[in-house]
Amino acid sequence: MARITAEELRAIFAALSEIMEENKQYLVALDSAVGDGDLGLTMSQGFRSAAEFVDSMDETDVGIILARAGMTIASKAPSTMGTLMGTGFMKGGRAVQGRDFLGLDELTGFLEAFLEGIMERGRCRPGEKTVVDALQPALEALKAAGGQGLPLTEALDRAYEAAAAGLEKTKDMVAQHGRPAYYGEGSRGKEDPGAAVGVFLIKGLRQGLSA
Amino acid sequence: MRKIINKPEAMVDEMLEGILAAHSDQLACAQDDLRCIITSRPKPGKVALATGGGSGHLPLFLGYVGDGLLDGCSVGSVFQSPGADQMFAVTKAIDQGAGVLYIFGNYGGDVMNFDMAAEMADMEGIRVEQVIGTDDVASGVRGQEAKRRGVAGIFFVYKVAGACAAAGGSLEEVKAVAEKANRQARTMGVALSPCTIPEAGRPTFEIAEGGMEIGMGIHGEPGIRKGELREADAIVDEMLDPILEDLPFQGGDEVAVLVNGLGSTPREELYVMYRRVHDVLAARKIGVYHVYAGEFATSMEMAGASISLLKLDDELKNYLSQPASTPFFSQPQLGK
Repeated sequence: MARITAEELRAIFAALSEIMEENKQYLVALDSAVGDGDLGLTMSQGFRSAAEFVDSMDETDVGIILARAGMTIASKAPSTMGTLMGTGFMKGGRAVQGRDFLGLDELTGFLEAFLEGIMERGRCRPGEKTVVDALQPALEALKAAGGQGLPLTEALDRAYEAAAAGLEKTKDMVAQHGRPAYYGEGSRGKEDPGAAVGVFLIKGLRQGLSA
Repeated sequence: MRKIINKPEAMVDEMLEGILAAHSDQLACAQDDLRCIITSRPKPGKVALATGGGSGHLPLFLGYVGDGLLDGCSVGSVFQSPGADQMFAVTKAIDQGAGVLYIFGNYGGDVMNFDMAAEMADMEGIRVEQVIGTDDVASGVRGQEAKRRGVAGIFFVYKVAGACAAAGGSLEEVKAVAEKANRQARTMGVALSPCTIPEAGRPTFEIAEGGMEIGMGIHGEPGIRKGELREADAIVDEMLDPILEDLPFQGGDEVAVLVNGLGSTPREELYVMYRRVHDVLAARKIGVYHVYAGEFATSMEMAGASISLLKLDDELKNYLSQPASTPFFSQPQLGK
């Protein structure tokens, strides 16, 4: 039965760092269309720093590892998305503090707190063309998978599919937040850069687990 | 830009290297990070005080780390918030087991990052409370004081909180004293010329030649009135009236006064200003307990000044009077 300990977290953050680096130009292009274009740079920088930090950490409490990683992202990727990601990891980590590993239930709790943290900090809700629109479906998928007693890896596969579908749906939405909101109706037809980061987040969680 | 620097992007770290080299008997850095300045003379068992903020305001913020004042300060780039991880590193380094009080100015990035650091500290079992400086009368209307920015008046908050902690006050007591000082401090500024962020290379805001801006913030935030430069007495009156009305300060009150230079306004001019402050307060029968005049919170080479008043009671007066000593500020025990 797969589970997430400090060791898997190292692999997960290494995967996240790699994914953000690979997709730097993709994110820059998405963000340049509606924002200031620095999303790819701040995300690759933030997650690279987090991966290095997690790797250097001598800590077994997965909640503390996740929260400290969040603080690192917020510090090394000073931007709206860096702050939101940082807040998410901190709130999520806090929700699972005191544990040496995460199973599917705990991971679901982590993502739920992550999402709540982002919605509170960013004052955003589902349907407003943000990262929430990728993470909310992913959370629902994790919950459903838990109800069906699926293993962690399969649950994350489903969460990834749900997040990707959520990203696709952001094309039909009109941005309400940040710079993309200045484009109003003009933001329709394009996927939301923040939601793309949300998809990468779930992808990284899955990639860090073997098989 | 006329500055004595090497590479603009290296200025903050080189400044910190200089400060640590000069004052190694009083200051150190945590986790080998220059941007995490801590006292090298921690007091066991004492409530620890931390601040933090962008560079470009010396002696604010790190200049108040020292005996009778603060224990640590995270340092950001020019006009930028330090990172939450740096604030947390300072927190861990200065905690003596009695908890840590954060005192910082009301700026979005700082508020958010200190929130994160506090949350992390809480997860690791360090008690943290915070008091946010909001003394700038020009930056928010009466009744919405919590939205105001923190400027030079935060010095009063540091001073009384530092003395309360040094006297053995608990985290709750130190916080209460800091909150009271913030509640009873008011500041108003005037800017005569802008300043240049080294990496930007030119001023990021403008003030017309021969002009002034009443109420401008210490990062060039818009003030409440732009106009031609007037005589000192008229400027002081325009600054002092809103301060006095706001709290309000009334006849019979006793205050401490801080006349603060923003960077390139000389002390001569600060004392010309104080002369008028003194007369106005005397006419209103407001007693002056102590006057601080000099540079306490600057904006690099900006020309201009601010006036802060702190309304005193016996408790604040006692803590204000206690001696303090840092590389940037020192005061002997003041009289009654």
